[in-house]
Parts: sequence; structure tokens; C-alpha cells
Amino acid sequence: MSGTEVEAAIRAWAAERRLPEAHVARWLELPASERTALLELAQTLHLRTGQFVTIFTLLKEIGVRENQPIAEVLTRREVRNIFAANESAPGKARALLEVLRAIRFPQLHETLAQINARITELRLPEGVRVVLPPNLGSDEVRVELTAHGGAELKRLVEAVTARSAELGRIADLLGGADEV
Amino acid sequence: MKFELETLFIEEACRTSRLATRVLAGLPAQVPVHYVADGRTAALRSGESADPFGAGKRRMVLMRRRGNFLMGCPAGSTEFACCGYLVMVLASNCPMDCSYCFLQEYVADNPGLQIYANYADVFAELDRVRGGSRERALRIGTGELADSLAFDSLTGISRELVEYFATRENLLLELKTKTDEIDNLLQVDPRGRTLVAWTLSPEPVFRSSEHRTASPAARMEAARRVLAAGYKVAFHLDPLIAYPEAERDYARLLENLFDRIAPEAIAFISLGGLRMTPGLRTAARNRFPRDPMLLGEEVLAPDGRYRTIAPTRFRLYTRLREQIARADPQLLVYLCMEGASAHQRVFGAAPAAPATLGARLAGV
Repeated sequence: MSGTEVEAAIRAWAAERRLPEAHVARWLELPASERTALLELAQTLHLRTGQFVTIFTLLKEIGVRENQPIAEVLTRREVRNIFAANESAPGKARALLEVLRAIRFPQLHETLAQINARITELRLPEGVRVVLPPNLGSDEVRVELTAHGGAELKRLVEAVTARSAELGRIADLLGGADEV
Repeated sequence: MKFELETLFIEEACRTSRLATRVLAGLPAQVPVHYVADGRTAALRSGESADPFGAGKRRMVLMRRRGNFLMGCPAGSTEFACCGYLVMVLASNCPMDCSYCFLQEYVADNPGLQIYANYADVFAELDRVRGGSRERALRIGTGELADSLAFDSLTGISRELVEYFATRENLLLELKTKTDEIDNLLQVDPRGRTLVAWTLSPEPVFRSSEHRTASPAARMEAARRVLAAGYKVAFHLDPLIAYPEAERDYARLLENLFDRIAPEAIAFISLGGLRMTPGLRTAARNRFPRDPMLLGEEVLAPDGRYRTIAPTRFRLYTRLREQIARADPQLLVYLCMEGASAHQRVFGAAPAAPATLGARLAGV
């Protein structure tokens, strides 16, 4: 496609999805290769408007953080794997969002994975839930017990007490402690 | 360091003020001067510029301040463990342009570089405050809504402030700056009652985000010189920006600092992680879309600000606190705009009350 045809296709896609003009303008400001790569992405994955805006924002932020053009970010192995997978377009769009978030927030992704693995290892009984702060925005950890009757509550409290040392280590990880 | 001005506005009522006389004497000939009835109108955001905030930085307005000069630190809040800092508002906005600066939101509607010609009225306010708390030491600074020294070569205000505080035993003046404009300071004897504090950042943050500021090395050299001239010195590692190499770079920054200035000679060091309201984050990213320092792992924290994820932020605080303690266990360190749990994590103890910490910082 020529530059004019790409612009026309972008405008047509944006009109169909009612993409706000500010985003269209930012899209058209991109270098030709990035503009086209983003159009192919939007068309192939049948992105909804909100998904497109989030993906576009993540791609731009990753580009600035890592000094890499958007088109190059899209050639990363973990991104290519999504396109190669035998998955529906909406499934691929969701997977792409997850992968881009992990690239954009690597420490958050890694720390969450580490803490969630610790929580899984605890094998907490049903009725006990460890609630982490949204996006690790604070160091607050909450342990929720959901019981019906005194005997069940006693059992859950004992289960938590038996794991108090490991729960304490999880709380320390949230506060920046090294792997313990 | 000298900053470029495009225009100078002088409020009619300030035409013959000491400040106007001094500024006119030092102003480059090519800067046009306009007299206006009300300086506030000249300080307002101008719709003609694509970057009204940036344009305001090049438009100096000499005017009267209508309200009080003294106020509590605008960063203060009951949700944070505060340091009891009092602010003297002698100017508003700053000729430097740090991408993370809160002024981009705080003075967005009146970004003109205001300097208050009736600044000497602050001395009466200070006398009243001092009279009310002779038992308690107070730390009072000018560097919150403006850099304390950016235009000092033009205004000369620092000399009057230092001389005033030199004779007030329970008051400590804090001049906070990212410049190396210290010539006026070297002309007066502070008698131990003025502290000059520099915000310090590693080179990558300086290069990426702190436009038109003095280099970290120049700031440290300026600190060394004022220390030799009898001033106290302190440093604000604020904002701490948790980019991937931050732990290593901030550690090196502290090593550099302690190589140049003995830790025992430093009054205190404050630490404060990058925090941005949603409005500031938007304004900053719009003005500096290519600054990677504004694209760290900040998430919405419970206080409604974007902050670095808690584990990374607290680990960075702890590492720096430990490094400082190794250099000098007595060197006072505090956290800015953090709650009690952060203090508990970093220092292993609950924070002191603002008045207590404030008095310690004022008495250093």
C-alpha cells in the first residue's frame, strides 16, 4: 500500500471504531513503517477501540523506555509467538495486552509472579485468600477468611497460623525485602 | 548559571521598589520591560503558546504578593509522616525545567515567573511566628514553589534573608536549589543559621529530565564552597526515580558525594520517591513525551498518586539508608511524602511527629 492508501485505511478503521481524533492524529504522526505495522495489528486482531488505545499506549511507552521503534517491539519473540498461535483473534488480542504489560512493567510482572508462586506453594485451604494490593501500589497484604460456623473458622485460623512464617515472608517481599 | 528571559513585567505599584531597581540594573538590554497595573494578569497562562507553562518560565513578573508569605509545606498531609517544614513564598515558578516537576500542575494556570517585590514583609511574619514558638526550632525555606537561588544574581534576595536569619537563634533558613548560583551567599556570614540544600540525581536523570539545571558535579562543588563559607548543607535525593540501573547509580551518586563532602559535615539527607498526581503525570508526559524517566514502573498508589511499585521503592529507600548509615550512622535521613508504613519498613521504627522531626532538622 502507498502512504496515501495506508492513511485512508487508518482513517476508515478509526471511523468504524469511533477512535477519538487525538489518537488518530498520534497514529498518523508515526513513521510510515510503524503506522503500517499498527494498522496490520488492528486489522488482524480485530481490536476493539479500548484495546487499541491501550496497546498503542503500551507500545509507545515501551518504545521510549527501550529506545526502540514500535515496529521492532512487534517483532519480539514473545509477541511473534502470539501471532503464530492457533488462537482466535480476540484471544490473541488479550494475550498481546498481557505480554505488552509484562514488557512495560517488568519488575511488577516478575515480583507478582514470584509472590503468587509463594502463595500457591502455601496450599491454603478453600476459604482463605491472600489479597495483594492492586498492581503492588502499596505494601499492604490482606488475608481473608470466609467461614460458615465456628468449627470452620477455627480450622481456617489454624491453617493461617500454621503458615504464619511464610505469610510473613510474603508480606516482607511486598515491602522490598530480598528473596527470603 | 544565567537564565534567559523574554520579557519583564513590573507592576506599577512596584516600579520604584528595591527589587525592581536591582532587577532593572542587572537585566540584559534586549529584554523588553512592560509596566502593568496588576501583575497577576501578566502571570496568567497565555493561550498563544503551544507550551504555556514553558513560556511562563521566560516571563518574569515583579509584583506584590497579596496573601501571606508563610505557609505550611504544600506537600504536607496527615497521611504522610512530615518534617514540619514551613515555606516562605517569595517567588513562583522556576526557570529550570525538570520533566517531573510538580509546578507543571501546581501553577499551570499562572505560570509566569513571579517574584514578589514586597518580600521584605515576610520578616514581620517571621517575627510573629518566632515570637509564638521561641521554645521550638523551626526550619523555613524558600525553595518549594521556586528555586531559592535561580535568579539570585539578579534579585539579591538571599543576602537579606541570610542576614535576617543570622540573628534569629530558633529559626533555620533552608535555601533549596539545583543551581550553582552561590556568589551572593559567599558575601555574607550566615552564623550557622542558613542551610543550603541541593537536590541531587544521578547523571542519567540529570541528562534526561533536569533541563537547564547545574550538573550534579557542579551542585556538589557549590555545596563544598558554601560549606567552607560557614553554611550548613543538606541534600534531597528527591525524586528518586527507579529506572533499571537506579540502585547502582544512586549508590555511586552517594559515593561521589561522600568523596567530596564528608558525611559528618552534611546536616541531613531526604529521600522521596517519584510521585505524580494523574494531572501532573499527564502534563509532564505531554511536555516530555521522550523522557524515559517518566515511564518507569509507576502505578496508582492508595494516596491517588502514581508511585513506583512498593517493593522496588522501599528496597531503594532501604539500600540508600543503609549506605548512608555505613558512611555516618549519625547522619539524619528522612522520607518525604511517605506514610508510617514506609518509615517502619525503611527505618524499623515508627516516624517521629512532624514537630519533633522538624525541630531536629532545624537544630542540626
